[in-house]
Parts: sequence; C-alpha cells; structure tokens
Amino acid sequence: MSRSLKQVAVLLVALLCLDLHSRVGSAPICAHGPSGCHVPSLADLFDRVIQHSARMHSLSNDLHSEFEQYFLPSKNHIGKIYRKCHTSSILTPNGKENAQKLAREELTEVILKLLMAWRDPLFQLHQSMAHQQDFNSFSSNKALEMGDMAHELRKGVEKVAERMRVLGMLGNSVTGLSVAEAMLPISDSGEAMSNYELLYCFRRDSNKVQNYLKILKCRIVPEHDC
Amino acid sequence: MRNSGAVLILTFIAKLISQAAGVSRPGKPRLTSCRSPEKETFTCWWEPGGDGGLPTTYALYYHLENSETVYECPDYRTAGENSCFFNKNDTSLWVNYNITVVATNALGKNISDPVEVDVVYIVQPNTPENVTAVVVRDEQGPFVRVSWEKPRTADTRSGWITLLYQLRVKQEKDKEWEVYDAGMQKYYNVFSLHPDKEYMVQVRCKPDHGFWSEWTQTTYVKMPDYIPRERSLWIMITIFSVFIILILTWTLNVKRNSVKLCLLPPVPGPKIKGFEKQLLKSGKSEEVFNTLVIQGFPPTTDYDELLVEYLEVYDNEEQELVLDGKDLSEDCMKSKSPSDSDSGRGSCDSRTLLLEKCMEGREGSGSGSGSDQHQYSQHGETSWASTESSESQGPEPGSPESADGRSKTWPVVFSSPQPQTHHHYQVGAAKPAYHSVPEILNHSSPHTTPSNYHQLHHQDIPQQEGRFSKPACRHSQSYNQFNLDGVGTPAPGVPPSPSLEYVEVQRVNPENMLLLWPLSDPNRELEGLDCAGEDYSKVKEVTNNILLLQRDTSHQCVDYYSQDLDNQADQCTTQQPPHPCKPAVHQSNSRMPHEGMRVMGNGYVDSTVLMPSY
Repeated sequence: MSRSLKQVAVLLVALLCLDLHSRVGSAPICAHGPSGCHVPSLADLFDRVIQHSARMHSLSNDLHSEFEQYFLPSKNHIGKIYRKCHTSSILTPNGKENAQKLAREELTEVILKLLMAWRDPLFQLHQSMAHQQDFNSFSSNKALEMGDMAHELRKGVEKVAERMRVLGMLGNSVTGLSVAEAMLPISDSGEAMSNYELLYCFRRDSNKVQNYLKILKCRIVPEHDC
Repeated sequence: MRNSGAVLILTFIAKLISQAAGVSRPGKPRLTSCRSPEKETFTCWWEPGGDGGLPTTYALYYHLENSETVYECPDYRTAGENSCFFNKNDTSLWVNYNITVVATNALGKNISDPVEVDVVYIVQPNTPENVTAVVVRDEQGPFVRVSWEKPRTADTRSGWITLLYQLRVKQEKDKEWEVYDAGMQKYYNVFSLHPDKEYMVQVRCKPDHGFWSEWTQTTYVKMPDYIPRERSLWIMITIFSVFIILILTWTLNVKRNSVKLCLLPPVPGPKIKGFEKQLLKSGKSEEVFNTLVIQGFPPTTDYDELLVEYLEVYDNEEQELVLDGKDLSEDCMKSKSPSDSDSGRGSCDSRTLLLEKCMEGREGSGSGSGSDQHQYSQHGETSWASTESSESQGPEPGSPESADGRSKTWPVVFSSPQPQTHHHYQVGAAKPAYHSVPEILNHSSPHTTPSNYHQLHHQDIPQQEGRFSKPACRHSQSYNQFNLDGVGTPAPGVPPSPSLEYVEVQRVNPENMLLLWPLSDPNRELEGLDCAGEDYSKVKEVTNNILLLQRDTSHQCVDYYSQDLDNQADQCTTQQPPHPCKPAVHQSNSRMPHEGMRVMGNGYVDSTVLMPSY
C-alpha cells in the first residue's frame, strides 16, 4: 500500500508539474500589448532577419576565400573536386521566376529547411576547425559565430513565420516548420565532407537564404527598400 | 602497325606542309570573363588564340555541375563577337557552369581551359541612369543634390537584387575624385562645394555581392557665386580691425618719442642760478666758475674813493641814459653774469656798494671828473640811482631842476612798506616807488652845491613789479651819508633842519617833484625785513663825496633801519670823528642780513665793513 501510495503521489506530482509546464508557455514579456514594451512590426522583423542573413553570408564568404587562398591555390576552380552538397536534396528555386512562383509558405519552408539542415554541419565545421592546427583562432571563431548565427537566424525566421501566420498571411499548408529535420552532411559517397566542401556549400546556401528572405520581404512588406 | 605508322607519317608530312604553308590549327582560345547584369542572364567572352591562318570557328560548350550533359552556347550574337549570351531560361543560379570554348579550323581544333562560373558571383550591373545634379539654395548656403535612377535591367523591386550606389565629384582641374557612398538611396546632397566653380559628377552601383558597375557619363554642375553671409561679415570685421591695429601701431612707432614725452614727462632737473650747463660741458671751468664768482669781491678797490665829505644825490636822467648806454655797458656787464637772477642775495648787494670799474667809464654825468658812477644794470632788474660825487663839476646837483634837465635820483634807502600795487607811471618813466628818503642834511661838496635833494626822479625801472613791494634794503645805511651833518659842509640849498627827520617819499609827481609823506611814527615799520621793491638804498660807489646809489628792487625793507640811522645819525652828526659812528652803524648793520655801509664820522663811508653775508 505504501509503495503504491508513494507511486501515486509521485505520479500526481509529476502530472502537476507537467501540467504546469504545459500551461506555462513561452509567453512573451509584452503580452499585455504595446504599452509594456515595443513590439516590432513585421517589417522590422524582416529587416532584422535579412541583416542577420547578410552577416552570415559575409562570414561564410570570408571563410571560403581564406580556404581558397591558403589551402587550395587554383585558378578558376580548376582541379577542384567537389561533391554534391548535402542540401541538394532540398528543392530550391534557382531563378527569379522560379522563386516568385513559389508561395510564401513554401518559400518560408525552404528557408527553414535550409537553415535547419545546416545546424549540425556547422557545429561540426567549427569543431574540426578548432582542432586542426592549420587554422588560426580567428577563423575558428568565425566558424563558431557562423554556426550561432545560423541558429539564431533560424529562430528569427520561425518567429517571422509565426507572425505571418498570426496575421493570416500564411495559410495552414505550412507544415515544414515542425517537419524540418536535421540532416547529416553525408555525401553520396558516404564520406564526410571536408571543411572546404562544407564551406563551399554553406556559402551558397547562405546566399540562397538571404535572397529568399529578400524576396519574401518585398512580397509581404513592400513599403521600403524594395 | 603499318596503318598507324602510315598515319603518323602522313600527319607529319601534313604538318610540315602546313607549316611551310603557314597554316596551322587554331590557337587555344581563352575565356576572358563572364558577367551577369541582373542576376538573370549572363554573358561570356573569349579571345581567340590565333586562327592559324585558316578560318576558325569557335564554339562554347558548357555543362552544369554534377551533370555530364554538355550544352552549347545558345546565343553567339547578342553579346557581340566572341561572346556567348545565356538568357533567362538557360541561366541557373547557385549552380556551377563549366564552360569551355573550342576553336576549330580546317586543321584542327583547340580547346580552351574550362572555367567554373556561378552566376550569383559574377553580377555586374549596368550603370545608373538619369543622373541629375541640381543646386539647392539653403539658408546655410547652396549645395548640390545629385539624383539618379537604377539601371533599367536591375530588378530591385522584387528584392531579387540589392544595389548600393556610389558617386564621385571633382572639379575639372582636380586630380583626385571625391567619393561618396550613397547606400541604397537614389539621391545624395553634396555640401562644401566652392562657389562659382564647375563640378563633374559620376555615379555607379554594385550589388551586395558582386562587381562595381561602370561610371556614368559625366554630369556637369556649376555652383553659384555666393558669399557665406556670416563668415563674410566676420571676415570683414577681422580685416578691418587688423588694419586699424596696424595703422595704430605704425603711428605709435613713428611718434614714439612724443608719446614717451606725453606719458613720461621729463622731470626738470635742478637749476642753479648763475650756473651755465653749457659752459660746463664745453669744458671751460673758468667761465663756469666765473659766473658764480661775484666780481669785485672781496672789495679790492680803492677805498679812497669811498671817502666823501658830503654826498650829493641827484637824479640824472641823462646819466641814466648814458648809463644805459652801450659804451659803458660792456664794462659793467663783464662783471655781471647775464643770468644773475638775484637769487639768495640780500636786500643790498654789496656789489653795489663797491666801486665798480665801470664807473670809470662814466662820463661826466654831472658830477665832474673822476666821478665814477656805477652803472649797474642787471638786465633791468635793478635800476640804480647814481649819485654823482659832489666833486663833479657838473651842474648843480642839488637843484631839483637840473640845469641840463637831468634828474637826480634820490637814493632810496627804503621803500615804503605800503603795497606797491599802485604804481604811477610817469611819462617815460617806470613805476614809481615809494621811497622814504632820509633827509639829506649834509651835503658837503667843494663846489657847494646843495646836495640835499628831495627830489626824486623816477627812472625808468625796467624791473619787475614785485620788487617794488619790498622796501629798500639795508643799504639804506648809505643814507647815513646823507645825514651826515658832520660832513661839515652845510647844504646851502637846503635849510638845515633842527632835527633829523626822516622823510618818506610818497610819490613823485610828473614834474619830478618829490612828494613826501607827512612825518609819521618813526617807530613804525620795525618789521618788514623781507620787503623788497624799488629802493635806492644800494650804494654803488662813493667818490668825490658823491654817493652813488643803486636802485635796487630786490632789497629787503629796512624801515626801522632808518630809525636807527636816525639815532646813529644823531650821533654821527654831532661828532666829528667818524669812528663812533662806525660801531653804531655796524650794529645796525648786524641786524640786517646785509651789512650796510659803515659811515665814518666825517661822512666817509667805509665799505670795508660791508661784507656780504654770503
């Protein structure tokens, strides 16, 4: 009896805790409206996100050129053996028309997928760069920052999507938010990609993200800078 | 084996032939650049490597990454010669293009090196369009507002491409451009441009990741001729004040001496009367000290001349004139310093009592031969009364109305203590003086000329008025002579008075008549030592029983002197020997800063006693 009572008590406590947890959601501080604090508009959110992506892309660009300069001195990309990026399975529009043809939800989904796909590879990249003695600390810090930035960018884009959904701009067809899965940077051949290949691929993907976000912004909030 | 060998030989021969003919297969072409103006299309250019003498064709082949499908360039013409244009359909972003160019001629072909191209990274937009530069007038000053439009092909509207702009400005003559970043805006305000100058403006743009476009055509803008108001005013004020300061400084510099004089006036140095600085500088010490030396002192002249039996005093205008004459002046002037200002001298200058040499030069001015009359002129400071010795043969000195019209000067013993403010100016004569003249009782003269003159002639006294305020000096002792009844010779012309009475001269009327005061208290005017004025108390010289008095206006008043003299005279007159008179006289002398003349009992005046106090 005492054991069962104890178990029940523990269960009850656990349930209560869970309940509390479930009720206590991540409520924003400014839940009571604009009087409490400044709530950024969708345009502001987009601007922040776009700036973030621009910063991320410039970091990746720098790292890639460093790699090319010091480790792979070749002209016009000759002799470079590159493999497919692991994100090539994600269908991304490769032109303006194609990008404009995509719906907002799809575009947002693509962005989120891309960002999600790079969460772990970037962490790996930083780890490998930190361990290797060829890289100076500056580069490894860049890689670390890049990984953090990608993570925050993903969070930001999720917030934007959330806002859009609240505003009714996004339909209910967006299912990629919760479906975005982490992907392992494994090439077709099964080998792990080298740092250079990772940088090459990420440089491209960050450019894609930035571009898609701009298109999305000018499509949704075309007031300024469009 | 044979076939391959034959082929080899044949190709070798063909090569030789072609080389001999100068033809060969084309050279290796080279892809120079690939550019995309709007991130939607792109163009690649190549350069041929040499045609080898034969017509050569070029073909561009590409394949996408991870794909082996080779495509040929879809458009060779749009972009011009040796170019390949990829339109929108053929352009894929974020995909690597592997491009090669193949040159082919009759003899062979040549393949260029492959080039990997990702269109996203080769974007170079067209130049901005419609660049306009307008001068905008603002209250702070005009500036130039440059505005432009995006290149037509770039699609920034959809956010597909983001352009950053840059403009540059310079004058025609400048070497360096001034570059301004405008960001994503399509206008820019340029400030700090110089007025009345023409400027060149150019604009270009760049995608966020890509190449800069070419600069636009130059746009010219001319700044208006303006002057910044605030600055100009301050500039004018500054220049004006600087100018004024410069002028003031220059003026001060030029007039620095007078400024120094104004600010720091020179302190007058001490001046010693009778001391000539120039003489000291010239180095002639003798002359310097000569001025300080009183000529004729100690008296070394002949005392005999001082002995007189009687004194005949008369005023001689002519003598005065003569004395003022130049012929005698030189001698007398020698003894006198030209700058003698009578400072520190007592009422009676002993010099006047001394026989002057200049008396020798004196003509017979009514006193006969040998009469020396002092001609004492101190630049007009003193006028002297000249008395002729009774020994002179001249006309009757006693007569008031001299025969020749000469007027006699009554020796002034002491002047009146009354204020000399009211002076009567006679005709041709100077201011009168109040003289109290002792009665000349005795006038001994071998010529029996009355010596008692109550006549006073006003001489031309070119002296200061102030002197008149002082009574006569102590030389009034000289008057003792006149009172010397003991001389012996009665004054025939003058009724002997039973008692000695001092008569005070009130004034002299125009007829040269002496107006005398009524007899007053003889004890009056005991004081008045320091009265100065015109007085005839100075005895210049006594010769031939003629007492020459000098009219001196700077002598002190010795009014009471007369009373003493009166007493003395009493004694003297009654007694023959002159000695008793001496001490009496001497005592009275001692009271005076100046020492008077010692009167001998017999009427002789001993001037030795008369020593100047200084």
